[in-house]
Parts: sequence; C-alpha cells; structure tokens
Amino acid sequence: MPLPDRDRAACSRCGTAAVYLQRVTGRHLCAGHLAEEVEARARKTLADDGISLAERSVAVALSGGKDSTVLLSLLHGIARETRDLDLVAVTVDEGIAGYREETLRAAAAITARLGIAHRTTSFEELFGEPLDRLVEGEESRACSLCGILRRKALMVIAREEGAACIATGHNLDDEAQSVLMNWLRGDRDRLLRDPLHHAGREFVARCKPLREIPEKEVALYGMIRGLFSPMPECPYRHTALRGEARAMLNAVEQRYPGTLERMVEGQRRLARVAREPAPPGQCERCGDPASGRICQACRVLEGVAFRTARRP
Amino acid sequence: MKVQLPDGTIRTVDAAGIPVEEVLAMLDVNPVEVIVTRNGTLVPEDAMAGGDDEIRLVRISHGG
Repeated sequence: MPLPDRDRAACSRCGTAAVYLQRVTGRHLCAGHLAEEVEARARKTLADDGISLAERSVAVALSGGKDSTVLLSLLHGIARETRDLDLVAVTVDEGIAGYREETLRAAAAITARLGIAHRTTSFEELFGEPLDRLVEGEESRACSLCGILRRKALMVIAREEGAACIATGHNLDDEAQSVLMNWLRGDRDRLLRDPLHHAGREFVARCKPLREIPEKEVALYGMIRGLFSPMPECPYRHTALRGEARAMLNAVEQRYPGTLERMVEGQRRLARVAREPAPPGQCERCGDPASGRICQACRVLEGVAFRTARRP
Repeated sequence: MKVQLPDGTIRTVDAAGIPVEEVLAMLDVNPVEVIVTRNGTLVPEDAMAGGDDEIRLVRISHGG
C-alpha cells in the first residue's frame, strides 16, 4: 500500500495516499476506501428504495460505457451473495455510426469477463431503421428521440426475459441534469413525479443504484477496479439540452460543492409533498403506460413513418 | 511540468509546487469534469505538482 507522500493528502479513513477529494465533505479517500464507499452507497440506495433483489431477474441496461459497466460489476458482486438473483445484461444498438461499434465491443467484453448473460437488440431490428436514419434532417431531436426509443427497447427485452426490474446506470449528475432540464422545460408532471415509481400493470419496475453517486466517483471506481477505458462520446451530445444543463451544473458544483445532491433531494421532497399527478393511462397502440392516448414511443415512430413516407 | 489535456495535446506549465487545481484553473479546466494522474498515479486536485511532473487529465466521458 503506498505511503502518504508529503505532496498529497492522506486518506481520511486510513492515512494512506489519497486518490480523491470529496469536495462536499472535504474528506480524502484512498482507492480502496473510495471503492468501498461506492459499493456501500449503491447497496444502500437499493435498500432505501425498497428494492429487494433476492429471487428476482434483473435486466441491466448495458451500453458499454462507464456507468453501466460499473453498474453491472456492482450488481454482479451483489448477485454472488444474494439468493437467486439472476442478471441479464441488455444492450441496445441505436445505430449511431462511429460511436456504437466500440461501446458494443466493450459491452460484450465485460459480460464475457463476468460470465453474465447478454441480450442485444437494435433500433433497426425493433423499429425498422437505425437512429442516424430516423433523425435525418432533424438531428437536434436525436437525443430526445433516442432516449424514448431506447427505453422502449429495454422494456421489450426485459419483458421477453421475464425480468422483474430494469437497472440503469444513471448517476447523481444525470439525475440533477434531468431535474434542471424539467425546470427549463416547465415540465410540471415530471417535476412532481417520483421517477422510480410508475403505475401500470404492464410496467417493469426500474431501479437506479448509482443515482446518489457523483459521476466522477463512478468513473474513479471504474478505473480502480480496472473496468474503465476511455470511450468515445455520442456525436449527438452537442444537440441536446442535457449538454447545456451539464455545463451549467458543473460550473455551479465547482463553486458550490453539494449543489447536485441538494437539487435532486429538493425535487424528491417536492414530489412527496405535492399532489401526485394522475397515474398514466394505457397507450392505445402498444398498451404501455401513456400520459395521453398514445405513448411517447408510438408517437415518435408514427412521426418517423410519416417523414419516411414523404422522403423523395 | 508537462500537462496532457483530454484531447491529447501537451502543454508545458512552468511552476514549482502548486496545487493541481491551480494548474487546472490556468488551463480553464473544471476539476469536477476530469480525473487527474500525476506521473501515472491517480491524485486528488489538491495534490501538489511542479518540476518534472507529468500530469494527465482524463475527461470523464458521458453517456452511460
């Protein structure tokens, strides 16, 4: 174990050389204790959310990026000590040229390394065309459309696998960005809704074990555990409001550590005290939960079909 | 010290014994957004750097 050197702080827990400064608390952590705390926090989030993984099949959304890879690794560790927890990794190839190929290889590699079943599907398989083609001429909508259809794809595969729960790798930064985006859009329903609970008898439960962990800690955990390889970033990221929200929040978090955490907790408190919006109804087309007659995914696909029919 | 930015370019910073966070500020890099290694070892942003140190900044890639 490396000795503390005079040029960097010592771990607040054991006195060895620190690799991380937790700005919110002012604590320094060595590699071992950072990893331990990330694992403990993920387990606590599952427990706090009332998610028991025993005797369940969990579909783990695995893009091959750092968050979902860390998530899969953490759940793999829990599965080794939890009775009858079955994991199946689900990877959706949206069809984004120059990006997805590398992350798909990473997804296949980590599932092989951990010995976890791996299902893959694609937008082309499920919806007829890759994302690049679906958003042709409307690239500014790529991120939004991709998210809607990817969630639909995960649901389809999770149901096929008989999964009781879909686990996604959303981290604290993702959650805070979503809160800010909902404010910027004036989306009252999303602001007042607890994102983990959904009505609807056909809906597969969701869990986000990393949702209280800062993205930087997730990334460091991945490096410490030898999971993390630099991955390309989605070429559509610059078209999305999320990129703006991320930049704003990172700037504020640097000056006022803890902002992300307070933002997310504030939204949860708001959702708990406000009158819960009416539970979603059912989509007339596919039967999934929908706030209107037609769910978001079916509306998107109808719009795509309309534009495709009009292409010269 | 030599600093490798996330895009691979190398900058030379002439300083002796300053916190990594000050180096990041000189380069307009937010410590929230990067992981730092000093001579191949992970370090927090308040670690000191200077002299012949080789600093590498790894941008935390987004997209799960």
